[in-house]
Amino acid sequence: MKPILEVENLKMYYSTKLGYVKAVDGISFVLNEGESLGLVGESGCGKTTTSMAIMRLLAENAEILSGHIYFKGKDLLKLNNEEMNKVRWAGISMIFQAAMNSLNPVYKVGDQIIEAIITHEPNVTFEEARERVVNLYKLVGLDPKRIDNYPHEYSGGMKQRAIIAMSLSCNPDMIIADEPTTALDVIVQDMILKEMSRIQKKLNMSMIYISHDIAVIAEVAEKIGIMYAGKLVELSDSVTIFKRPAHPYTIGLMSSFPSVKGEKKELVTIPGEPPNLLNAPDSCRFAPRCPFATKECLEKEPPYEEIEPNHFIACFHPQNLRKQVNEYAKG
Amino acid sequence: MSNTTEEMTASSEVFESPFKIKLKLMWRAFKENWKIFSESKIGMLGFWIVIIFAVAGFIVYPILASTVWKSTSLSSMVSYNPVTGYDFTIASNPAPPSLTHLLGTDPLGRDILAQLLYSTPREFALGIIAALITVFLGTTIGTISAFYGGVVDTFFMRLADLTLLFPFIPFLIVISGMMTVNLFMLALILGVLSGFGGITIILRSQAMIVKVKPFIESAKVSGASNPYIIVNHIIPNIMPLSFLYMMFNVTGAIFSEAVLSFFGLLNIRMSWGLMIYTADTAGYIVGTNIGTYWWLWLPPGAAITLICGAFYFIGRGLDEVVNPRLRRR
Amino acid sequence: MIKYIGKRLAQILILLVIYVAVVFFLLHSMPGGIKAILATNPTLTPAARESILKAFGLNQSLPMQFVLYLKNIFTLNLGISYSFYPTPVWTIIAQRLPRTILLFTSATLISFFVGFASGKSLAWKRGKISEYVSTVIGVIAYTIFTPLLIFTLIWFFGSFLGIFPLNQFLNPDLWLHTNLDAQTIFLYLLLTISLVGLAMLVSFILAQKISHRVKTRKIIFYISTAIASALAIFWWAVSPVGIYAFDILWHMILPVISVTIVSYAGTMLVMRDSMLETIKEDFITTARAKGLPDKVVRDKHAARTAMLPVITNFVLSMGFVVSGGVITESLFSWPGMGMTLLNSTLAKDYPLASGALIFTGIFVLFAHLIVDIVYAFLDPRIRY
Repeated sequence: MKPILEVENLKMYYSTKLGYVKAVDGISFVLNEGESLGLVGESGCGKTTTSMAIMRLLAENAEILSGHIYFKGKDLLKLNNEEMNKVRWAGISMIFQAAMNSLNPVYKVGDQIIEAIITHEPNVTFEEARERVVNLYKLVGLDPKRIDNYPHEYSGGMKQRAIIAMSLSCNPDMIIADEPTTALDVIVQDMILKEMSRIQKKLNMSMIYISHDIAVIAEVAEKIGIMYAGKLVELSDSVTIFKRPAHPYTIGLMSSFPSVKGEKKELVTIPGEPPNLLNAPDSCRFAPRCPFATKECLEKEPPYEEIEPNHFIACFHPQNLRKQVNEYAKG
Repeated sequence: MSNTTEEMTASSEVFESPFKIKLKLMWRAFKENWKIFSESKIGMLGFWIVIIFAVAGFIVYPILASTVWKSTSLSSMVSYNPVTGYDFTIASNPAPPSLTHLLGTDPLGRDILAQLLYSTPREFALGIIAALITVFLGTTIGTISAFYGGVVDTFFMRLADLTLLFPFIPFLIVISGMMTVNLFMLALILGVLSGFGGITIILRSQAMIVKVKPFIESAKVSGASNPYIIVNHIIPNIMPLSFLYMMFNVTGAIFSEAVLSFFGLLNIRMSWGLMIYTADTAGYIVGTNIGTYWWLWLPPGAAITLICGAFYFIGRGLDEVVNPRLRRR
Repeated sequence: MIKYIGKRLAQILILLVIYVAVVFFLLHSMPGGIKAILATNPTLTPAARESILKAFGLNQSLPMQFVLYLKNIFTLNLGISYSFYPTPVWTIIAQRLPRTILLFTSATLISFFVGFASGKSLAWKRGKISEYVSTVIGVIAYTIFTPLLIFTLIWFFGSFLGIFPLNQFLNPDLWLHTNLDAQTIFLYLLLTISLVGLAMLVSFILAQKISHRVKTRKIIFYISTAIASALAIFWWAVSPVGIYAFDILWHMILPVISVTIVSYAGTMLVMRDSMLETIKEDFITTARAKGLPDKVVRDKHAARTAMLPVITNFVLSMGFVVSGGVITESLFSWPGMGMTLLNSTLAKDYPLASGALIFTGIFVLFAHLIVDIVYAFLDPRIRY
């Protein structure tokens, strides 16, 4: 499998009056063609910032300190704005967190999709582009008659589908879906996720799902990355993450979710709250909340290492952790 | 910092009258809001301009009038009286600025600076009286519309729509042409007219937000009467916004007064607008005279601009206190 | 859409009746009442006086008087002016209203586009010196006392530079040797300008229909506008009365600039704030993510949406602009509605003053209606 996106040691800080907010602090991962990756973490852990950094849509006070983002071999961070505009949507498109407000209220929904097509493929005529939108509407399960309606005439679920159609409009190689279903009710949520997963497999696209909800991610992603306080703490395929979670934070996340199948377990909550990322120290950021933290954890930053094939983790004690966890659960 | 909080908690354990506690809370809220306000450069600029004008009008002028500008032995006339003064030592009027008359004299031989300072407190009085009336009406109507809804609401909102469309200055011009309008009456007319206008719409929408808050419900449940809820719960919560709009209304009132007296339509002895009117009707601001006799129109015009601007700036500064989303992080 | 316009029209008519009622009762509460205001003037002959009393039904009951007054307004029977005796009030207003409409419309359009464009770029490029400078200029223009601004303009352009005429509607020396009627030429001018405006509107709509590409649309629009304006200028240039028309326009420049400055700053400041709010919206991020060029994101997405609050604000500030117009007209001795209103008030010419007041109100109400319709075209959420 060929890698399509490689993120290497990406560091992105927000500079504020009070100092640097270390929103994304040295994360690395690889996404292969046709693969889907889920990024999970609490709000404010840097998931959205990561996706915005990939799209180069960062706020003015955001600074990329180091790292590379290779998309199909090209470093996105070295492109100028015009070159980047060509990558946007045609190469990587995006489904946004707040679908409700992601469409411009004063233009027809269809026209907003056509606009994207015509911008990236100047040779396509308006009629051809419209035809493509009709097909996309069918693909995402929307009535093509709705093309000439305005966003305020759509329901929430319909808007989300329209946005998915829009994200597919330029045949991108990769889609980033940032909390694609958070604003929707559970039934619509499930439908949309299945739809997205189906389309992704059908078109053999790469996909990054971002969510705070590990259950949602588990449904659609082949690989899962767990983020905590601006760092990627664990990354592996979803089976491994669920079967053999190695980072204490992942374990905490797992046990704070009720399992529908399997035996009854008591839910364990993670004590404390995520650290303030403003001038965060260079130690393990989970250490203050970690029941297994040692002196080493509070002083040094744990390395991000492969502990078994395709299973990365940033923790000093991955090996003896299992045992301790079991003891902790008992006592 | 921590010391004062400790003192606060310690002293509140001792018995204190609710009034005193209320006062203390108000003082604390004032201090906090002042801190936010003082960070707004434009607000502070406006604040200092107002302070300078206030000091000039309320303190400097009375002192000058009773000392330096007292009637001279040369004649029985008061040479610096803003309304009836005349300086016999000057050959021809209007005279350009000189050491005896820092801003020159007007066509009738009166000192411009004295006129300027003499008018300042009157402008303040007019602006503030008119704005108080406006805010009082706007707050009352806005709250009542929001609280009772229905016919009352519709009536006042349509009335506000109409008032918004009302060509104010033309209307005032015709009114003041038909009856004798003095400063107090003008303040009354301005206050009442704008009190039914846009301010009621804004304060009503604010009151609507407050109305659905849980503490209003709990007040209702505990048996408070409607007037009690309006006076004690809703109005205090929309007061900051009222205060903000009061600043904008001061600007509007002073501006209107200046325009009307500039057209010579008001029955007043002296005002900034009237100063320009005097010069204009005497033919000193016509054609090429404009550049030559600049001291006749520039100082009063600048004074009007500055005071109107200052209250507007204070409003913008207060906007940042009242609307937290405008604050810069 | 038609339903919406119909509804607004009905509302405007109701507002108009209420407005007339307010003016009517104001006239009634004057010392001596409406009778004294309309018919007690030494210059009136007893016969004329009798006819006014009869026309306004001033000897009848109050409600009846109001109905008659309303009827008289709709039939444009507003009495006879004292100061221009025996010219009917309507004749004077009919002569002067078009002038104010032209002054107001051109100043409003210019100030709207200047304010819109500058507010847009201010918000887009924050933290530059240019932002600071134009904000300061905008705030000064917004707070300056209108007469002070006009004196400064007259002094600078008329006296210091000497490039614009100081005041008046036209140059009397030029018109001395001709028996042309200034009003006729003015009306033809107004007609020409309206035709050019109409041509622009038609070409804009046609461009929307013909092409879906912004570039082609722009080309069609600019070319047809250029052709229409060139034709108009050519027609006036070859016509023998062109110089007189030019004289009228020449005298209009400073008043238009004054009203423009008075109203532009408000537009600019509101546009800036509205644009700053809009930039934070999610659909702007979407537009950027779509890979649209910066300019397209700014103009097509951000500015287009940010424009809506500016239009609302414009409705609210209309009274302010109208009063600016009154001051401007009287300071430039430019005989439009504002100057008529002021002079007739000062001359105690009550029929003319009240007529002018009523028609100023009607003018504002109709401007409001037009803005409402424009708004409905711009905001799809309103139309239903």
